[in-house]
Amino acid sequence: MDEYISFEQIPFGSDNFAENPEPRCPCVLLLDTSGSMGGLPIDQLNEGVRTFKQELMQDPLATKRVEVAIVTFGPVTVEADFHTVHNFHPRELDTTGDTPMGAAINMGIEMVARRKKEYKDHGIAYYKPWIILITDGVPTDEWNRAAMNVKEGEASKKFAFFAIGVEGANMDILKLISVRAPLKLKGLMFREFFMWLSASMKMVSGKNPGAAINLLPPSGWSEL
Amino acid sequence: MIWKAIGQSVTGTSHAATDKGCEDAVCYKVIKDSDNNEVLICCASDGAGSAQYAALASEYTTQQFIDKLSEKVLDGFIITEAIVYSIAEEVYEGLKNEADLKQVPVNEFSCTLLGCCITDNRSAFFQIGDGAVVRNDGLDFYTAVWWPQNGEYLNTTSFLVDDPSFKDLRVTIIYERVDEVAIITDGLQMLALNMDGGVVHQPFFADLFKVVRMAENEDEVGILQLKLEEFLNTSQVNNRTDDDKTLFLASRLPS
Repeated sequence: MDEYISFEQIPFGSDNFAENPEPRCPCVLLLDTSGSMGGLPIDQLNEGVRTFKQELMQDPLATKRVEVAIVTFGPVTVEADFHTVHNFHPRELDTTGDTPMGAAINMGIEMVARRKKEYKDHGIAYYKPWIILITDGVPTDEWNRAAMNVKEGEASKKFAFFAIGVEGANMDILKLISVRAPLKLKGLMFREFFMWLSASMKMVSGKNPGAAINLLPPSGWSEL
Repeated sequence: MIWKAIGQSVTGTSHAATDKGCEDAVCYKVIKDSDNNEVLICCASDGAGSAQYAALASEYTTQQFIDKLSEKVLDGFIITEAIVYSIAEEVYEGLKNEADLKQVPVNEFSCTLLGCCITDNRSAFFQIGDGAVVRNDGLDFYTAVWWPQNGEYLNTTSFLVDDPSFKDLRVTIIYERVDEVAIITDGLQMLALNMDGGVVHQPFFADLFKVVRMAENEDEVGILQLKLEEFLNTSQVNNRTDDDKTLFLASRLPS
């Protein structure tokens, strides 16, 4: 005997969804590990990077979408190439050498360009990449070309570049490099800075149509 | 009843978390033209996350488009490209006035536009920005009228108020019978479209339309309307998207 099924009992919906790769939101950290960062500053920076990972891990979409890479200087070293947050295992950073900031910036820009090409080749949608420079010093190499590359990249919307100066940083040179006003870190509030950065990345990696860059106000960690 | 139509805009989990409310809107109507034939009119819109009055903009845009298209149809007009442009202009002016009243730039009223007006054997489609209008091509294959208009970056698209000359407005008239149409906003793009191959994900729409076709009266359409909202709020859907999402489905095929 046929059992009568009312219209209301017919299941409606679909669990057959398109299998698209998660869109990616790349972020490169350019970290100054020159001799002057020795001692407490490098400890606090390491702590900050760990906090960054922990904070991103708490957001399920950011965990899948944000990709972090780290370049240290000097000498210029790719500490970690782009990885999603799960696979991002920051090593304890040491201080060594001088401050080849120009070369580090150019490296960051190249990495972003290469990553975008990889996304395109694999049909992965992506958000505008971020490049974050953190330094306490003065470039010891030629930085004019890097400054030009930053200006050109910002103008053609290739990436968004942010410069953060730690105590001792030459803010005047950072102003010449970064199109956006550089921000000065209050004391050694790396932890607060990275919490702010992860919150801003979560906002970007969630959908925000039309927003060029929707930053949270840099409150707490920056000097006005 | 020939057309069976359902449509819902549902708040995304990220908007719910920040008390933002739904900034998508959908509006639709089935009316009779002068020859007593059913005409299906639908419009959906996604208010830009960065715009202060995104919800107001999408609500206003969808309502105005439906009202003005219905008016034209009832007055005996055939919907042409020129009519769609003139309505877009009126809606632009309306949004501009709202912005002036609130003393904010017009881009605080940024929203996308997706819509259709389907008669017996002639259909008009229009779109500005991302999301997609999907139709059954007559052989039970679902195809997007246009692929979503995103810039290089996923979170950039174009909006109705971007440009008073509407260089991003796409309009097409199809001179054939369209029996099924769906509209999605970008919140469902990653679920309903295969971004790599550039094709509509067939099983997603096939599953949904299968049941829409079964509806035989207004009551059953009403049941589906509620079930559509439930579906858009399920964890399967929310695990894949945190944005506001709109889904409109209309069929005039039997099961």
